Amino acid sequence: MAVEAKGSRELFKEVIEAGLCTYCGACSGGCPYLVPYKGKIALLDNCTRDEGQCYGYCPRTFLDMSAISQQVFGVPYGEDELGTVKEVMIARSTGKRIKEKGQYGGTVTALMSLALAEGLIDGAILTRTGKDKAASAYLANSAAEVLQGAGSNYLACPVLETYNRTPKDSHRKLGIVGVPCQVIALSKMKQKPPENRPDIGDVKLVVGLFCTWALSPDGFYKFLKENVDLPKVTRFDIPPPPAKRFDAYIGTERKSFPLEQIRQHTMPTCAYCLDMTAEFADISVGSVEGLEGWNTVIVRTRTGAELMETAKKKKKLEIDKLPAQNLAHLKEASLLKKKRALTEIIKRSGSKNKLLYLGLSPRLVDKFLNGQGGK
Amino acid sequence: MPGFEIDAPGTSQLLMGNEAIARGALEAGIGFASAYPGTPSSEIMGSLAPVAKKMGFYAEWSVNEAVAIEAAAGASFAGVRAITSMKQNGRSVVADFVSTIVLTGLGKGGMVMVVCDDPQAHSSGNEDDTRTMAKWFDIPMLEPGNYQEAKDMTKYLFDLSEQLDSICLLRSVTRVSHSRGNVKLGELPRRKYKAYFEEAHDTRNPKQSKFVQNPPPPLHAAQHRRLVKAQAIFESSPFNWYRGPEKADLLIITAGSGWLHTQEVVKKLKLENRVGILKLGTLWPMPEKLVRQHLNKSSKILFVEEVDPFIERNVMELVASSPDIPRPTFYGKRSGHLNEYGELTPDIIIKAITGILGIPYQGRDADYAKKAEELAKNLVPKRSLALCPGCPHRATLWAVKTALKMDGRNGVTTGDAGCYSMGTGATGFFQVREGHCMGASCGIATGLGRLGQYDFNQPVVALCGDSSFFHANIPAFINGIWNKSNYTLLILDNNATSMTGFQPHPGTGMVAMEEATQVIKPEDLCRAVGARVEICDPFDLKQTTDALLGMMADNKGGKVLISRRECQLVKARKEKAKYKMHVDTEKCVGESCGCDRLCTRLFRCPGLTWDKKAGKSKIDTVLCAGCGVCADICPQGAIIKEEA
Repeated sequence: MAVEAKGSRELFKEVIEAGLCTYCGACSGGCPYLVPYKGKIALLDNCTRDEGQCYGYCPRTFLDMSAISQQVFGVPYGEDELGTVKEVMIARSTGKRIKEKGQYGGTVTALMSLALAEGLIDGAILTRTGKDKAASAYLANSAAEVLQGAGSNYLACPVLETYNRTPKDSHRKLGIVGVPCQVIALSKMKQKPPENRPDIGDVKLVVGLFCTWALSPDGFYKFLKENVDLPKVTRFDIPPPPAKRFDAYIGTERKSFPLEQIRQHTMPTCAYCLDMTAEFADISVGSVEGLEGWNTVIVRTRTGAELMETAKKKKKLEIDKLPAQNLAHLKEASLLKKKRALTEIIKRSGSKNKLLYLGLSPRLVDKFLNGQGGK
Repeated sequence: MPGFEIDAPGTSQLLMGNEAIARGALEAGIGFASAYPGTPSSEIMGSLAPVAKKMGFYAEWSVNEAVAIEAAAGASFAGVRAITSMKQNGRSVVADFVSTIVLTGLGKGGMVMVVCDDPQAHSSGNEDDTRTMAKWFDIPMLEPGNYQEAKDMTKYLFDLSEQLDSICLLRSVTRVSHSRGNVKLGELPRRKYKAYFEEAHDTRNPKQSKFVQNPPPPLHAAQHRRLVKAQAIFESSPFNWYRGPEKADLLIITAGSGWLHTQEVVKKLKLENRVGILKLGTLWPMPEKLVRQHLNKSSKILFVEEVDPFIERNVMELVASSPDIPRPTFYGKRSGHLNEYGELTPDIIIKAITGILGIPYQGRDADYAKKAEELAKNLVPKRSLALCPGCPHRATLWAVKTALKMDGRNGVTTGDAGCYSMGTGATGFFQVREGHCMGASCGIATGLGRLGQYDFNQPVVALCGDSSFFHANIPAFINGIWNKSNYTLLILDNNATSMTGFQPHPGTGMVAMEEATQVIKPEDLCRAVGARVEICDPFDLKQTTDALLGMMADNKGGKVLISRRECQLVKARKEKAKYKMHVDTEKCVGESCGCDRLCTRLFRCPGLTWDKKAGKSKIDTVLCAGCGVCADICPQGAIIKEEA
């Protein structure tokens, strides 16, 4: 089944007004009509085109998992709960400043700095939080600028808008750090290269972030603004299970909110997402249960493997094995997300044969639905 | 080069109707003139103000029509002849004051109000007929049928005004005010006024001043007596006459431009011997005896007048109350022979006359209009009503559109009168969602902004220009702040009253007589009443959009955004274009994904054209004002601006 040629009208009907928009930014930046603002894509004026890249690259329009996997890895979409994997490990930055600012081990920051230094990329599209702690995407051109992106506030941010805005004739080699839906959109672009937008071939490195859900830049931001002194916050954290809380740090002082309270501000679309570990990235990075100050790293492609190798060689990252128990937990969590999402999708569509946006073989659907989701 | 003010009595000059009215005022020896601009009346003050200093009288552009007429009354109260002029919308603004000055009467200075109506609403929001006001408020009224009369009647009305001790009204229409004809000039008196308000309080003889409308009923009766006097005078007025046979197949009673058309039509139809024309110049009070004398000329009577059946109804009233007059058949707007709305044309009048008399008439081929349209199609460039190239309003309205859509709550803008009222259409991206009269933008926004208790959460943006802010929005704005209404006032400040011809206003630092004066800044006024004020440059689309978004998100207090940039037409007189624009055809993606012809399909500056064959946009270098804004809206960076 091929992706149907549809435009912004259908994008609004099937995705945005249906509450499925992930706010990834893939539709905007290269289009004068679609603009992300406060967690929503606004339609500024009437686009008359019947076919639009906005529809084509949206991670919530038809997604042929196998075709995407073939495109990125050269193999069909498989059985592994973590997607296509070369190696799983734990890592942390050796840099003092990175460790201070980084969310856990500072691995992403270290990798992007290294990729810049090695000439793998000329610029990195990252997310940073301003003084007001609102999230915005930016293009980092140096290690110092990369460091501004360290840390997370879990707000959805239209990173791909910034990518689409990159001058299309600059031909700069780019690295992009994104959450799974953004990595999916980038994979769709790799599958069918965009027109009148930057050359997708110039994207040399995609680092994915583990994600269970993102928070609404409108609702959750308002919640934060009402409950914490935002400009003073130094770090946000959702510690790994079983903590079940959201923490805002002002220096060493911690203000915690029960995760249940936070969850009402998640993007509704996240409930329909199967991908926890950014399965189509070169490298995926997340936290590690029980090991503070370390990151879980999944290396998926040759590009990813080579970069990790260089990081090890140049002592930018300290690397170790992921304990077997952690790996098991990670797989469990990933499978659980797939199961939950599929259940939600089927609940909404009313049939196992209609999976909203998802193109997945019936065999895998059954496998994920029957998967043992652990806790 | 002297113009309409030339001191050459007895000579003929080619004058525009409004110049002729201004000339009449000069020949009446006015000492005071006031107006607020409004098409088609603006050229009256536009002519008077530049010559005021050398002719030794005072002239001002007032902040609005009500102030203008009150200022003129002040002059009259102190013995100075005063004229005030306005368009039909302004006539509604002055209504309250007029209703009272007819009761008190005037000082020793005669006072004339000129109202220029706009049948067909060529440049207006309505096509109201002012004449009804004369009847409503008991004001003697004349209407000129040509340029000579425009001058002569104006001059005459000052004498009449003083004779009756009443304000007098001259009603003109676009076709008289805005066309030109020969006018034989009269003398220019050099009056030396010694202004004195005679009704000052006298301790030895304490009494209420004449200029107080109290008690109204006897004063009302006094005004009726003045009208009786006026009617007697009008019975023999040289502004009324009859031309035609003693017994006619059809009598046409007409006035003003209706008479101009009628004359032409009767001549064209060669019906001079069958059709009689009673041309009236003194319309209120109607000279009943004169009309009565002519009613027996024919059993068929047609009324030709712009816009409402004013004379028609007055004659019907007369006939109804005069059992001795044989009942003729009336034709006109009530019978459907003439249009009840829109402007009269000779064609319409021809149709009426030939229909009534049963004359076959085919002026031109049946498909002439169609053929002419086809022919003209190829000769006229395809262009719709549009803001000028480089107009700051286009940029502001683009930012409004962007901000309202980004905000996502279906925000609405209320409109006012000015160039930006074209924002109701495609050139302003249909952003103005309501348009009524001057001052209404803040007023309507105040109402909308108080509906929170009924779940109203659409952001409201009140749009007005700088001149319309001063005109009538200030009281409404203060009301909104006082009553805690939630809306944003967006002032499109282009430092001119552009739509009517760049007249100065309180924000410009100039007065009508070309003297510098204190600049009254809208931001100072707004801040003084406690509003939060920001100022932006509309050509900085992002700054303007962000500022508006910020204000719409703020639910507290008065909020004012001033989008400030000088009117492009004013600027172009002083300086050259800032940028030289061109389209990089390599980068322009035309109708494909990533643009869909944003600049020529939606932004629609007349300086941009669509090269259909090439599938690319082009700059029309003749029209382009070099403002550079289109470079910022082009999603592909294909429109290039270079410092000119």
